[in-house]
Amino acid sequence: MPEFFKFDQIEYHIGAAGRTVKVSSDLEEGSILVIKGPSGAGKTTLLRILARLSECDKGQVFLQGHNWLSYSPQLWRSKINYLAQKPAVFNGTVLDNLKKPFALKIKKDMFNLDEAIDGLRELSLNENLIHQDAHTLSGGETARITLLRSILFKPNILLLDEPFAFLDDNSARSVMEFLKRWLVNKTGHGIVMVTHNDIYKDISGIETQEIELSEPGVN
Amino acid sequence: MDAGVIPISNTQLALSVILVLIAGVISAALRLELLKPLLWGTVRTYLQLTLIGYALTYIFNINNLILIIVIISLMCLVASRTAVRGAPCAGRYSMFLGFFSLWTSTFLVGTIVMVLIISPEPWYSARIAIPIFGMILGNSMNGIALSLERLFSEVKSKISEIETLLSFGASPWESVRDCVKEALRAGMTPTINSLMVVGLVSLPGMMTGQILAGADPQQAVRYQIVVMLMIAAAVAIGCIMLVLLYYKKLFTKEDAIAHYVLNHE
Repeated sequence: MPEFFKFDQIEYHIGAAGRTVKVSSDLEEGSILVIKGPSGAGKTTLLRILARLSECDKGQVFLQGHNWLSYSPQLWRSKINYLAQKPAVFNGTVLDNLKKPFALKIKKDMFNLDEAIDGLRELSLNENLIHQDAHTLSGGETARITLLRSILFKPNILLLDEPFAFLDDNSARSVMEFLKRWLVNKTGHGIVMVTHNDIYKDISGIETQEIELSEPGVN
Repeated sequence: MDAGVIPISNTQLALSVILVLIAGVISAALRLELLKPLLWGTVRTYLQLTLIGYALTYIFNINNLILIIVIISLMCLVASRTAVRGAPCAGRYSMFLGFFSLWTSTFLVGTIVMVLIISPEPWYSARIAIPIFGMILGNSMNGIALSLERLFSEVKSKISEIETLLSFGASPWESVRDCVKEALRAGMTPTINSLMVVGLVSLPGMMTGQILAGADPQQAVRYQIVVMLMIAAAVAIGCIMLVLLYYKKLFTKEDAIAHYVLNHE
């Protein structure tokens, strides 16, 4: 059986000096791969490369044994969803935001309101929030709503860039529990995450693996 | 009623320098440091327009279709340079797209006006064609420049929305559709505004010129209506062509936002 998700000898350069980063790793189904390293080590760039939003110099990525180039960029990104540290909030209500990706041509299935409401509850958000103007949300609410938007879109792999940055410990824990359920209850899911927060270690029952991107200047 | 052109003699022309002097005195008194550019501008105006006067006389006398096409194409080339100035990569490809959009919209609309509406004898009569095409070109150029500039500024300011859409698997078109709309709106708004206020706020230059040249105001008005509508059409066609050809260039071949767009100041 092919590996669930794997990136092989990815090589890219970052910063003004063009420092080269080389990295390989893989991710098992239902687990989390945590990317660590100091700022400027190229963690965000790696996530962007995995989503094919930035280009790398060398290397290949495989999803369930299929080379990334055998997918169109659009199909790939609908399976490997990158969630930026500060993802965009679109004009309109929270509901409009959750529905937004479903208007895209690539998305064939329908938006499910019940799932969205359940998600809000699981993320310890008030379900009345759904009719609120999305631009009036707090930082912590925005982080959870945009995460929910990605989960509802049903990707295989979530690429999360500092998902806990705007969250207090309680919210971070409910986000982790939420992600755990997403990983464990259904098949075909995995997470690659850049974070400085060790909260994922407190949650039992998820396999995690860490890789460290070397410090700037050290290869 | 004397319905002819009142000629301006050399002496009278020289007297128009008085007008510059008035502006010059004000500039000097207020230390605006505009005297030099003002004088240089005056000299250039005399020179350029005198030369163009001779050139036009020559072209009108020859009245050759090929020559007219070449001249208008050259005008398109110069205009496309100005039109794509707002693009961060004012390379050859931008120039080519600018030229292509300008040339196509100008010739399409201009030919319709010449053949169907004004129908001079011959239909390509230089005396009509050069001013008509010139007016179309000047306006299309401005429209395209505005559209292109707006396209880049919109994409830059909405970059996080665009990338979020892309990361959900949006096509390039889906991700920048709103920006393209804004860009087209920006390019066409001045033309639409002028359709709204023409005759109320200002009398258009062409119509004024015709009236000064002794034309019947009602005829001048008819010409002006044709000119306004042809400009609106040409601006719309030119902007749509350019923006639709150009938006793809914002993306890499992997359909991600290209680096130069992000780094452009």
